[in-house]
Amino acid sequence: MKIWFKWISLIAVIMTGALLIYGTHDMPAWGDPNSPANSHVSPRYILEATKLTATPNIVSAVLADYRSYDTLGESAVIFTASISCLFLLRRIRKEKTSEDK
Amino acid sequence: MLEYVLAKYNYWIYVVLMMIGLYAMMGKRNLVKKLIGMNIFQTSIILLFVSMGVKKGGATVPILMGDGHGHGEQIIQVADYLNPLPHVLMLTAIVVSIATTGVALATLILIYKRYHTLEEDEIMAIRKEAAAYKTLGT
Repeated sequence: MKIWFKWISLIAVIMTGALLIYGTHDMPAWGDPNSPANSHVSPRYILEATKLTATPNIVSAVLADYRSYDTLGESAVIFTASISCLFLLRRIRKEKTSEDK
Repeated sequence: MLEYVLAKYNYWIYVVLMMIGLYAMMGKRNLVKKLIGMNIFQTSIILLFVSMGVKKGGATVPILMGDGHGHGEQIIQVADYLNPLPHVLMLTAIVVSIATTGVALATLILIYKRYHTLEEDEIMAIRKEAAAYKTLGT
């Protein structure tokens, strides 16, 4: 790789970072209890999750009850990754055994 | 001014982490370093989302008292518990990042088996040489 590519990527990274730091001007302050993320949907989960799902831990209630289809798809992701790792790495072992023979 | 910095400095830390990851992905030649850069990038995004769920003023983890059947319950105050939704979403993101890292590492093992190097420019040189040899042969 040529040296100018590193400088171009460095300039692009610094420009992206400057743009993002400019964007944090509009973000809510850290730990603000009345920020939009903390005040629209999540109070309903905190107040009603235990009553509706009989689970004291709200995170596991949301993960396994409200969003259980999402968790099912997540397990499909893990399954796909493990199967592809299996197929990628199995071929090496076959070559090794044929070399050994 | 100090108040502004104290309110926003966590986002700046994550932006710096993201810049490190992005530069490692773009500017480095070693494929393992690129992969580590991608992991740093994902970690910065996970930290950004988790920090959105923070509530200052004595909030604890979102595990309630009682079992939901009317035993040992207390009156729930929303300000006493952290926002659980970013935690749940980042659990999913951590799982996806683990899966991509595993598949990428398996692919890197195969690349090293074939080219005996993990430097990107050396691999491209080997491929160019092989292509030139092929055209000469025919």
